[in-house]
Amino acid sequence: MTLQIALLGGVVLLSVAAILVRDILKAAICLAVASLLLGILFFVLNAPYAGVFEISVVAGLITVLFIVTIALTRAEGDVRESKWVAWVFPLFFIVFLAIDLLTMKALIGKIPTLASSPEGGTFGEALWKGRTFDLVAQIGVIFAGVFAVLALFRKRSKDE
Amino acid sequence: MSSTWLIYMAFAAVLVFIGLYCLLSQRNLIKLFIGIEIIGKGISLALVSTGAVRKSIFTAQALTITFIVVEVCVVAVALAIIINIYRHTKSLDIRKLAKLKG
Repeated sequence: MTLQIALLGGVVLLSVAAILVRDILKAAICLAVASLLLGILFFVLNAPYAGVFEISVVAGLITVLFIVTIALTRAEGDVRESKWVAWVFPLFFIVFLAIDLLTMKALIGKIPTLASSPEGGTFGEALWKGRTFDLVAQIGVIFAGVFAVLALFRKRSKDE
Repeated sequence: MSSTWLIYMAFAAVLVFIGLYCLLSQRNLIKLFIGIEIIGKGISLALVSTGAVRKSIFTAQALTITFIVVEVCVVAVALAIIINIYRHTKSLDIRKLAKLKG
């Protein structure tokens, strides 16, 4: 359990660093390392497929997208963040942590137990047979994303 | 079992809180998306840890993979919109989007 808590603490610390660091590039890299730690945690939790997706897609692809966007915009200096953001954060964080620790036990006690028995079989069966509709929806979402990006970057004709 | 689950869910709630704080306090558009990413991390942590504790890890992984695919599409479209906004207003400041002049 120590390893899990260390990984979770690393994820939280890097996420805090990602929102408090002023340089956006450093924030994106903090986010990537946090994703990497979360992926390792998924491996520890015996969920290797989710871990592989988390490391390759979230820590890899999304970070690349963020860095490309930062390189294409180059406007870090012109956005002035307000000064109280970093100062007020610890106060809010401690208050939330206290509420979290006090109420979470009662909250998760209210979640009903699932009626189904523990699942058997393999991951492939659970994915392809149990969640077939999700896969169809994923294909739809990917197509929607591709068409949206194409529409946003199309060249304007002279009439417009 | 319950105490382990409690720890995971508490950390997931902390991640969601950090992301919400980022969304409420920051003014840079890219920073706002970093906040949304942090909220997504909290959600996937909650999904996988619940699956691991409740002995249904395969379904939890399938749901997490679906969530990650949706997240990637959202981020790709959002960053494309951010680049277009930057070309239009020459800034990433969210306050400059408050003007509705044509």
